[in-house]
Amino acid sequence: MNYLRHVLDHLRKDLRLEWRSRDSINGMLFFALLVVVVFGLAFDPTSYPTTTRQISGGILWVALLFASITALNQSWARELRNQVLEAQRMAPSPASALFLGKAIANMLFVLIVEAVLAPIFIVFFNLHALGNVWLLALILPLGTWALVVNGTFFAALGLRARNRELLLPLLLLPISLPALLAMVQATTGVLTADLDSIQIATWIKQLAGYDIIFTTICILLFETVLNAE
Amino acid sequence: MTWHSFFNLSTMQNRHLLASYATVLIIQGAYVGWIAWNWFRTKNTHH
Amino acid sequence: MEQRNPTLRSVAWLWFGIAIAVLVVGFRQAIFLTPADAAQGDVGRIFYYHVPSAMWSLVFPYVNFIASLFYLYWRKRDPLKALTADAMAIAAAEVSVVYSSICLITGSIWGRAAWGIWWTWDERLTSELLLFLLYVSYLMLRRFSSTGQAQTLAAVISIFAAIDVPIVWMSIRWWRTQHPAPVFFGGPDAGLDKSMMPAFVWNIIGWGIWGIFILIFRFALERRRQLAEQEAALQAIEASLEIPQ
Repeated sequence: MNYLRHVLDHLRKDLRLEWRSRDSINGMLFFALLVVVVFGLAFDPTSYPTTTRQISGGILWVALLFASITALNQSWARELRNQVLEAQRMAPSPASALFLGKAIANMLFVLIVEAVLAPIFIVFFNLHALGNVWLLALILPLGTWALVVNGTFFAALGLRARNRELLLPLLLLPISLPALLAMVQATTGVLTADLDSIQIATWIKQLAGYDIIFTTICILLFETVLNAE
Repeated sequence: MTWHSFFNLSTMQNRHLLASYATVLIIQGAYVGWIAWNWFRTKNTHH
Repeated sequence: MEQRNPTLRSVAWLWFGIAIAVLVVGFRQAIFLTPADAAQGDVGRIFYYHVPSAMWSLVFPYVNFIASLFYLYWRKRDPLKALTADAMAIAAAEVSVVYSSICLITGSIWGRAAWGIWWTWDERLTSELLLFLLYVSYLMLRRFSSTGQAQTLAAVISIFAAIDVPIVWMSIRWWRTQHPAPVFFGGPDAGLDKSMMPAFVWNIIGWGIWGIFILIFRFALERRRQLAEQEAALQAIEASLEIPQ
């Protein structure tokens, strides 16, 4: 339970810092809103409900992916100021607790953005899901965790690289591809009801499997990354 | 095929065949050339 | 050490010569001797350069993966061995990028000519593209990280890549298949026609021998660089010791 306490401490710290400035969340919200508006202009959602339903899943995840990338780099930049990272390395808490705390904090921020985005999507795209909407309550968190856990890890990896803004998307995209495929397919399947429940369930299971595998790897390897010198 | 037909640029298929073989040779050649160039530039401190 | 160098040199030149010879035979087989494909015509000859590159592009990443594991293992226990492992890791990563970019480019050129499309998102092409992107990021991370960390961080990426590529493969295979059904290890209709065998075998062996040649050459170059750096560091220390107090 000591480990859990460390994780919670790190989590509280990140939440508090974010609450005071609200940089990340505002940035993410604005970015996602922009994506929705631009896509709304690109094709007319109200006149083509079928097409809209088919591509909304993809648009939602694109918006979330890019929005989270902007926030992820920033989340570690906080640790660089005032040599906080050195202090973290010397602290007695296990390195993976730092990682988990930060990942959970980032997860909460993105979930908040999703909660705001969902009604906006529904309104601007005149979206009305044909399948079981409650499945989305399962798909969205699983998918978000897949992006956030790898994103937090790779943002830390590229932290002292000169090209860190480029490195994160370059690394994140290939690694997340299986998860992206699953989350977009599952979301679209629910919205369009083109996939039956067994297929959607399989995508959800793949997503869950991906989450477990990569969360484990990230936790195991974080210590190596933090102490890379 | 013959050398003559290999370098015949009239059809798209043939141009693509030539282009792909050329690509392979160019990329491999450039890489080994780069290694060789650096090999001669780096000091040999072995003896 | 003085004795080893000339022998190694001769072996290296011999290996290079064999690679070139086999590749020349392979070229002759592929272009002049094998009959043109019944369905595709001469464009099908791209097969003999595309497929060997594709197959070897799946082998070198695992050389990188194993070298990276050795690096992480030796990092704290035996730094000198770790350095050697790291040299092999970077050499294997670069060779992987070379072979996978050749695979992607020739495949694309072939696809356009034979089947009308430059690209499709099936499991083989997507996995190959991802492999390429992952190793490019590996190399970029090494270039842009401060020394000291670069090797360790890159080793971590190598582990992610090794796990991710099979997962990408499986997830997309599952999802759709548009690529010509696997020629090798495929279903009942798979397998090469006998007339294609000689050209294919010469080329896959030739590109393999060549791949090993450039891998070892690049490894030797990296070792030379590492030793030169160590030498320079040693001289700097000695110079600082000689400063009169």
